[in-house]
Amino acid sequence: MKRQLFALVDWRRLVLVAAALTAPLLLLPLVADAYALHVLTISLYYVILAASWNLLAGVTGQFSLAHQAFAAIGGYGSGLLVRHLGAPLWASMPFGVALAALLGFALGRIVLKMRAIYLAIATWAFAETIHILLTAAYRFTRGELGLTVPALYRSAGPAAYYYTFLVLALVSVLAMYLVVRSPMGFFMCAIKDDELRAQSFGVDTVRVKTAVFTLTSAFAGLAGAFYAHYTLVLSPQMADFSEMAKLIIMVVVGGLGSFAGPLITAAPIQILTTYLEKYGEWDMVIYAVLVIALMRSYPGGLAALAGELRGRLAPSRPRHAAPKHPLPDPPP
Amino acid sequence: MAALLETAGLSKRFGGLVATNGVDVAIAAGEIRGLIGPNGAGKTTLVNLLTGLYAPDAGDIRLAGESIAGLSPHRIARKGLLRSFQVTRLFGNLSLLDNLLLPYLARGSGAVAEGLARARHFLDLTRLAPLAEAPAKSLSGGQRALLQVVCGFMVPELKCYVLDEPFAGINPVIKDRIIELILADNAERGTTFLIVSHEMTVMRRLCPKITVMIEGRVIAEGTLEEVAARRDVVEAYLGKTLA
Repeated sequence: MKRQLFALVDWRRLVLVAAALTAPLLLLPLVADAYALHVLTISLYYVILAASWNLLAGVTGQFSLAHQAFAAIGGYGSGLLVRHLGAPLWASMPFGVALAALLGFALGRIVLKMRAIYLAIATWAFAETIHILLTAAYRFTRGELGLTVPALYRSAGPAAYYYTFLVLALVSVLAMYLVVRSPMGFFMCAIKDDELRAQSFGVDTVRVKTAVFTLTSAFAGLAGAFYAHYTLVLSPQMADFSEMAKLIIMVVVGGLGSFAGPLITAAPIQILTTYLEKYGEWDMVIYAVLVIALMRSYPGGLAALAGELRGRLAPSRPRHAAPKHPLPDPPP
Repeated sequence: MAALLETAGLSKRFGGLVATNGVDVAIAAGEIRGLIGPNGAGKTTLVNLLTGLYAPDAGDIRLAGESIAGLSPHRIARKGLLRSFQVTRLFGNLSLLDNLLLPYLARGSGAVAEGLARARHFLDLTRLAPLAEAPAKSLSGGQRALLQVVCGFMVPELKCYVLDEPFAGINPVIKDRIIELILADNAERGTTFLIVSHEMTVMRRLCPKITVMIEGRVIAEGTLEEVAARRDVVEAYLGKTLA
């Protein structure tokens, strides 16, 4: 049965691609300084968030605007448990992830029958509620003052955290890939294209959509929990809409619904954002122009652009060879 | 003969409009039944009731003796009652191969390798094989209609296939191919069909028995010649004669 579940996975290719992409990242701490490593570590946090939101919005078509809130739920869930109950991290972090999954499940149930814009509005309202709760309940969360939480490691340099986040991102992305290549992944794509037709073949769309909401929220919570115990101070800013906007930019530039696109664009955009910070909010203007230009010419993002370039470089082997007359002419 | 698909007093109203009004239909196992009627007669409403898209206001639907009225569409599909849509619906961004594989996987069981083999078989049969990797949205109207019908055949447990206007606006070559597929599947595994269509020549060829619906009611049943000879049927289609 297990073999059956992943019958569509090309394991050899998967291992090769993962190894080829990870190898240079393993060597980075040899050349990068502490600050650069910090920037990279934060970028890996965004890789997990962007990839999981892409699963929800890009693959399944559930354009939720609450993904950043689930990262905050994971982070605060763990941090608050430590602060108020003195829980150890091995218990508090899974609690944060479970809380994000549970609330993801609940939100998924609530927005089940909503389409496109209504789902976006409802999830946005949910995220704003979380944002306001974290700010307003300052006796409990310390609000804008920031919640200090203990570190993941008692004494460790930036390289240790970098490797931790690298492994976390790698494992998360591989898990997401397996989901996309399983029958479940098929059902997710089918729901995005035509939910009614998916139902008419026997796909339990309620179950699939709820599962995707739960799973992607858990991934966001997982990233958030690690982020919390790396940055050591949590602020409600984590649930701010600007964080969601950043995720949207990362995924849309990479290619909404393409698996590899958002993985490749998330980190460079976060790195760019960090180095543009000294110029204030100008980075958003740059991204806005980039997104508009890209949407105008390549709505499929950089993934679509890459596909076209590949097609141009190797015109002899088009992937979707469509003969002009696949059907014979009618008999006279 | 025991009916495979049977409705009793099936009614559905939308506000003041009674779309289907006490419909009683019994389709025998292995039968290819035609369903005709002028626009607005309630044919598509009946199809939507049968496949769980609407819950009936009154009446019952039985599939192989078991009531399926009020079940959700995916549960009905898993019992072996499948449908096609009047406006062709496909998973546009998925390849043809994946479009075929999906109904096979949606049953929640079965080996992927077997599903792929089955999909390739149907791609060859429909001569769509050269387009296997192309996204379904790149197909022409006729090819889309063909693919939509074939998707249902991918399900091994298919008992009854309800086709809502599968021949509308399609060239004769593809029309013939769809007819051949229906006849072959009916002969090979005894699949029962309910076919909604306005194409009388096709109906004559496929359906020994035809049900006529007018204004939400079943008003006649019989061979095409029998029902076409009835005055009320002719009047419903063409209007009352002045004389």
